[in-house]
Amino acid sequence: MTIEFDMRPGGSVGVTPSPITPNRDYSMPDRIYRRGVQIAGLGVLVLLAAIGFFLINKGFPAFRVAGLSFFTHSGFNTLGHNPTFGVFASLVGTVEVAMVAMIVGTPVAIATAIFLSEYVPRRSRRSLIALVDLAAAIPSIIFGLWAIFELQPNVVGLSTWLSRHLAFVPFFKVTSPPLNASIFIAGLVVGIMIVPIVASICREVFSLAPPGEREAALALGASRWQMIRTVVIPFGRGGMIGAVMLGLGRALEETIAVTIILGGGFLYGPHILQHGGTTVSQFIVVNFGAGGKLGTQALLLAGFTLFVITLVINLAASSIVNRSRSGAGVDL
Amino acid sequence: MTTYATTPPPPVPEDVSGLGHNRGTDFSGEAGQIDADGVHAWFSGRLVLAGVTLTMEKSKVTALIGPSGCGKSTFLRILNRMHEVVPGAQLAGSVRLDGLDIYGPGQRAMETRRHIGMVFQKPNPFPAMTIAENVLAGLRFSRVSAGDKGDLVEASLTKAGLWKEVKDRLGELGGALSGGQQQRLCIARALAVKPRVLLMDEPCSALDPTSTLRIEETIKDIADEVTVVIVTHNMQQAQRVSDYCAFFLAEENLPGRVIEAGRTETIFGNPTDQRTFDYVNGQFG
Repeated sequence: MTIEFDMRPGGSVGVTPSPITPNRDYSMPDRIYRRGVQIAGLGVLVLLAAIGFFLINKGFPAFRVAGLSFFTHSGFNTLGHNPTFGVFASLVGTVEVAMVAMIVGTPVAIATAIFLSEYVPRRSRRSLIALVDLAAAIPSIIFGLWAIFELQPNVVGLSTWLSRHLAFVPFFKVTSPPLNASIFIAGLVVGIMIVPIVASICREVFSLAPPGEREAALALGASRWQMIRTVVIPFGRGGMIGAVMLGLGRALEETIAVTIILGGGFLYGPHILQHGGTTVSQFIVVNFGAGGKLGTQALLLAGFTLFVITLVINLAASSIVNRSRSGAGVDL
Repeated sequence: MTTYATTPPPPVPEDVSGLGHNRGTDFSGEAGQIDADGVHAWFSGRLVLAGVTLTMEKSKVTALIGPSGCGKSTFLRILNRMHEVVPGAQLAGSVRLDGLDIYGPGQRAMETRRHIGMVFQKPNPFPAMTIAENVLAGLRFSRVSAGDKGDLVEASLTKAGLWKEVKDRLGELGGALSGGQQQRLCIARALAVKPRVLLMDEPCSALDPTSTLRIEETIKDIADEVTVVIVTHNMQQAQRVSDYCAFFLAEENLPGRVIEAGRTETIFGNPTDQRTFDYVNGQFG
């Protein structure tokens, strides 16, 4: 026989919960502190919204002129009676640069993170971690200068080799030389630039892998690599995805290094090895100040486009990173 | 007064090769005997265990007892080379499994750990693996084919006393079990690779009394096939499950060492050392 209770408040149990009033009796310094952080926190959101609003507000006249063709056409011809302008080629280039960067940078970053968290001897670990974190602070103009004077002359050979031997892959096909100032080289630089930040986050997540599970694997006769594959990487998967997406956000918005490298022009297509190409941020920098009032509006609209893309990517990334952090609490 | 070596030996090179070949090993047979001889241990240059010489008889249960900080867990971890996983850990002395020095040249830590399994204080199943995958995890590491995997899963879980509870949910995640079930899953996982010795580091200290009794029954059931060495703080448990007992003690400013070892009845009923008598009768520690 079972006795059934109506578990709702005031049900057959006959007891209603008494109201709980949260303690709002904060002391003066507490109140000042609370208000302070509240204002600071809201301030960031207000600023973000204001920037978005500013961009769309100032850029909207350009959208009224071009309509949706802004996203499907390429060019920057804003003077004269029949203006045509759009960011299609720049969007394609942005995605291509980001793809090259992720393909090159992600494996290196994850390998670096595994090396730092699992293989480096304790004595040198701290200094190596500091070094990698420091690399994240190198200004992108430095990367750009290094890339154009040092990286590019050395990579053109690789581009030539790829275009000769792997031309059956559409991306490696070349229709018109030369092979410098290409999307590929720009992507390589950005790939190198994102390594420190992605590696840093991944290392942090890996180092949180539960020691109990690590020891369980080792005690079962796992090699270190088997332990990493069984415990560390599955545990850090969410954090890895988040880190890679943060790196992607960075790759999409990178401006100065890309502008230094890229040859420009509104060509688009899969031929990433050949000269020329554009990204949204490069489009804005190169055309800034030219094109009159409508030109400025068009650039602001392009800026808004980039703003939305990176915002979405970063929001998705941070939600995934957060989820993986809460997973870190699952300590079995 | 006894003096202890103060200069630690060079650190034990940790096995980092990760290749897992069977090179240089000659383990065979069923339950094994462990002989520890003159074992010393250091953490970051501090001597914590000195001159432990102890034999853990084949197919018997040996309990290591003593107050906290006396080095018994350290000693246990030395027996399957888990000690060297801790940064800054060093050791001296020899440990032999059926006569073969597990720290000898050419011996791999991974290979040793496959023959001398371990169950930890806190249940640590792989939470993202299913119950069946957890049981088979050790085989995956050693790349041994198991014949019929289903049979092995059933046999291991049965030995660990968990089969009846989980036989219809082998596909569920290991993390979904209760604490006591998780610990028995860890025992099943350790038994699945057919070790010759099973080390248990306070396996019941995080569990309720019912789960504790289940695990004690398991220990008695498996002792024929596998030599068990168990660290415990629970005197009744040591009396219930063990055939032999070793009493560890770290007296003030001294490293831990074995005060007395022998048959469990003797240690509890008629110890020769006053300190053992005091400890097993709850008069200090």
